[in-house]
Amino acid sequence: MVNIDWRLRRLGQTAFTAWAVITLSFVIVRMMPGNPMGAMIQQLERRGMDPVRARQLVELRLSIDPTKPIPAAYVDYMVNMVQGNLGQSVYYQESVVDIIAQSLPWTLFVLSWATFISFFIGISVGALMAYWEGGKLDVGLTSWAILMGSIPFYVLAIMLLIFMSYRWGFFPTGGKRPTGIEPGLTWPFISGVIHHAALPILSMIVASGVASLGMRGNAIRVLGEDYLRVARLRGLSDVTISTQYVARNAILPMYTTLLIGIGEMFGGSIVLEQVFQYRGVGWYMLSATYQRDYPLMMGGFVVITLAVVIALLIADLTYGYLDPRARGQESESY
Amino acid sequence: MTVSETDYERTVAHSDPILQMRDTTVSFDMERGESRVLDNVDMDIERNEVLGVVGESGSGKSMFASALLDAVVDPGYLRGDITYNPGDGESVDVLEMSKRERKQYRWEEVSMVFQGAMSSFNPVRDIETHFVETLEAHDYDVREGMQRAKQILSDLYLDAERVLDSYPHELSGGMKQRALIALSLVLEPEVLVMDEPTAALDLLMQRSIISLLENLKERYDLTIVFITHDLPLVADIADRVGVLYAFEFVELGPTEEILEDAAHPYTRMLLKSTPNLESSIENMRPVEGSAPDPVNVPEGCSFHPRCPLADEECIDVDPGPYDAGEGRFVHCHHWEHSAEEIPMEDASETAGLADEGVESRSTKPTPDHEGEEPVLSMQDVEVHFEKDTGFMDFFGDPPAVKAVDGIDLDIYENDVVVLVGESGCGKTTLGKTAVGLQRPTGGSVEYRGDDIWKVRDGDGDGSVSWGHIRRSLQIVHQDPGSALNPHRRNSKILEAPLKRWHDELDGNDRRQRVMSMLEHVGMTPPEDYYERYPHQLSGGEQQRVALIRAMLMNPEVILADEPVSALDVSLRVEMMDLLIELQEMFDTSYLFISHDLANARYIAERTGGRIGVLYLGELVEIGPPEQVINNPQHPYTQALRWATPELDPAEERAEESPIREIDVPDPTNPPSGCRYHTRCPEAREVCTEQTPESYSADTDAPSHRGTCFRMVDDHEYWHSESIVDESKDSFDSAADTGTAPSDD
Ligand code: SF4
Ligand code: SF4
Repeated sequence: MVNIDWRLRRLGQTAFTAWAVITLSFVIVRMMPGNPMGAMIQQLERRGMDPVRARQLVELRLSIDPTKPIPAAYVDYMVNMVQGNLGQSVYYQESVVDIIAQSLPWTLFVLSWATFISFFIGISVGALMAYWEGGKLDVGLTSWAILMGSIPFYVLAIMLLIFMSYRWGFFPTGGKRPTGIEPGLTWPFISGVIHHAALPILSMIVASGVASLGMRGNAIRVLGEDYLRVARLRGLSDVTISTQYVARNAILPMYTTLLIGIGEMFGGSIVLEQVFQYRGVGWYMLSATYQRDYPLMMGGFVVITLAVVIALLIADLTYGYLDPRARGQESESY
Repeated sequence: MTVSETDYERTVAHSDPILQMRDTTVSFDMERGESRVLDNVDMDIERNEVLGVVGESGSGKSMFASALLDAVVDPGYLRGDITYNPGDGESVDVLEMSKRERKQYRWEEVSMVFQGAMSSFNPVRDIETHFVETLEAHDYDVREGMQRAKQILSDLYLDAERVLDSYPHELSGGMKQRALIALSLVLEPEVLVMDEPTAALDLLMQRSIISLLENLKERYDLTIVFITHDLPLVADIADRVGVLYAFEFVELGPTEEILEDAAHPYTRMLLKSTPNLESSIENMRPVEGSAPDPVNVPEGCSFHPRCPLADEECIDVDPGPYDAGEGRFVHCHHWEHSAEEIPMEDASETAGLADEGVESRSTKPTPDHEGEEPVLSMQDVEVHFEKDTGFMDFFGDPPAVKAVDGIDLDIYENDVVVLVGESGCGKTTLGKTAVGLQRPTGGSVEYRGDDIWKVRDGDGDGSVSWGHIRRSLQIVHQDPGSALNPHRRNSKILEAPLKRWHDELDGNDRRQRVMSMLEHVGMTPPEDYYERYPHQLSGGEQQRVALIRAMLMNPEVILADEPVSALDVSLRVEMMDLLIELQEMFDTSYLFISHDLANARYIAERTGGRIGVLYLGELVEIGPPEQVINNPQHPYTQALRWATPELDPAEERAEESPIREIDVPDPTNPPSGCRYHTRCPEAREVCTEQTPESYSADTDAPSHRGTCFRMVDDHEYWHSESIVDESKDSFDSAADTGTAPSDD
């Protein structure tokens, strides 16, 4: 019962955030001084379009009727949003939803592999570092992780691009799929896709040295715990101890970090996709900014923010399965 | 140590040791040199005995425990001989076992309970998993093993099913500790080593666990090694007691002998320094000096810098074990003279020990405060904490913890009130409410007639300011380390209050004042301590700095929250003496919080104060210490009295427990009527329905009051049905629930 209350509350918070994000996008479009809507109308009028026609077009594109008073326009906008109508891109002349639906999987593809691999490496390396605390590996990796953590990831990405692609030609310099190959579940296509995604993934992984540092700190803390000592005395096997006692407790504090990390990577992907000319959501969003393609920009903004909010919600809701202490805090007994 | 094996074996030839330790040393290599944390120890542990091992922190007692299981943590190095004699089958050399043998030896033959029950369980796995994985790791039959686990759990008065289903954080400390004991017994070991198993628990829980241990020992045929810093505690169950000092045993013998006629000066001094309920306050005396550093243990007898009997021989020759008869061994050259030099009774005319503290260590009668104006007056104070709930939880009333529920208490000038009770009884909350750190949700707290929260809110009549009240009511925390700003030197910490409240003093005056205070509390030379940071001080020294800081504010009431519980036993009396001395010097009142009745008695008797007993947010008894201790009116006070270990071996050990339930009820849902009725051995029908008021005790002390129907001669209680189920084979199986009032 308590659990339900708690989950409902998180859900409520998430819904609230989502609403706030969408409202914010409305506010930006509609009410900011020098607002995008005004700018769009002017743009069209400058191209010689009749003002009434221009306004209709803007309404279609932005899902906001410029002639309506703000409250009514707001209600319309929200209804459109909830129905999944994010307006129409000015530049591509396509619906924003379609563009995002096409590009989002590519971004997710890069992100999920980057996250998965970097955490896998981070956790195993972190555990090893903790185990050989103070050893050469530990010292070396710690400095590496600190170094990597302090270089902005896009600098790293550019360096990778310069060397791996332009100089040595290991990887393509841009794009997300092989050219001239029919899309489909064929090996040439799939390997081409992986080939194109490799550099973006790699630069994200390299930049995430921090993960292993975090794991190391946690694992060291766990290694000092009494329950570990008792478990050894009880004669539990090394496998049980390292998985159920060390790793599980060391991962706990990282779990939320992991999902917050996804959020950060989403943000990072905007720049990263630009560097690698990788046409995911981030790329579209940034180029929409250059094109003054407000509908697409806002759509990208809303979708990315929502994705992060949802990732956090999932983190919160599932954390209880990993850590019983977080299960319905209220029921903590005497 | 110059013990030869033959000495030992001659005297214990008739014995049947299950574990034998010879020349066992544990050392750590440190930059400063080799640190020996167990130094050439010999010890025989007899089959089916309870061996009590007593030592202060830093005496090597935990190392002794780890050595028995060959479980010394890296980089500690264990050497010597440890032999295990299973009884049937061959003796085993514990330090030469193969990996497989060692796995079997640990937990199947010898298992261990640590002090940290709070953290001995993996927080992400439920209790049952801990049992199952242990059984599986040792290839035991899991079904049969779990059957046994349930039996042991219920032997320990736990609801087996519920406990097994719980996660560690869902159990109280006492429950976790008992679950841990059950876990250590699930493989049916021969020997159970317990390292401070009860240190973190309340007295009542400690004592309950100890009386349960006796049953367990019989039922499961155990040999128990019980390691503790608390001599009176083991006195209750141990057959023999070994006393550790500076990483070696200084005395070993049957419990009775040790308690009545200890031969080693350290043991005698330790006994005298231990607050308890029986021996007279005049005789209590701290052990001066401090325990040696393991890198730098004094030559010869390691106790000589602190020993009043020390002479040349002690400095030159390490005293081997002298056989003092009756199975007693003493590592002291002059053991035959220790009794006359360090008498347990009356020390005033003894040469060598007469220190300046003797005359001040006297008791005071509790004055009758009738008609006096209280400094602080609490009326019907309530503090209810709502459990933290979010904005979606507006359905239904959130459960409130009634931490303090309707308490009246007055504190007068130069008054001392010591609050005692189990953890969770609300004593700290009440204390904080008294000094204005916690806002009560009901009732009033008045400082010299002004409601302090009205003053705070600006509704006062303007006669006193909130700042003045804040300054007059000070607190000294339990953990002084966390209460002092780690980034500021003592000079800054201590001068700040002077700067703030005594602006007539210039920098030099302040310095002088702080220096003299440091000197006064024994932190000499003060120049040396003046510039230190808190982390460069020992726990006792930090406590002193915190105390001086509070005193320099010139407060009228100081709340001291468990000020001595973090200190070693031998230092407690000294710290309490200091507290009492400062009280007289600065003319303040104290509100003490303690979970230990013996400490409460010491302070209250020496200052003429009162002891207040709290149970589930209510003040169930209050009065002068002699009355509360020797003539307790409330059954709960009687239980606390029972739970306080005695040094007197003649006292019948392990009398039946006077409580029906070991665990404290859920404070969010306290029992109806008298809140104690679920545990009270005297409870009757009426106790579940009516709430007792505060009645005056039928003694000569007018300030002695309690809240139990039994204090009223013609109460309907006496005609009510008993609710104690006598047939139930419960914790109090022998509790007498006679139907007639005892004083009829
Ligand atoms: S040997 Fe000497 S210094 Fe050591 S305890 Fe005995 S009398 Fe004291
Ligand atoms: S009122 Fe009843 S239940 Fe309460 S303490 Fe007295 S006898 Fe026990």
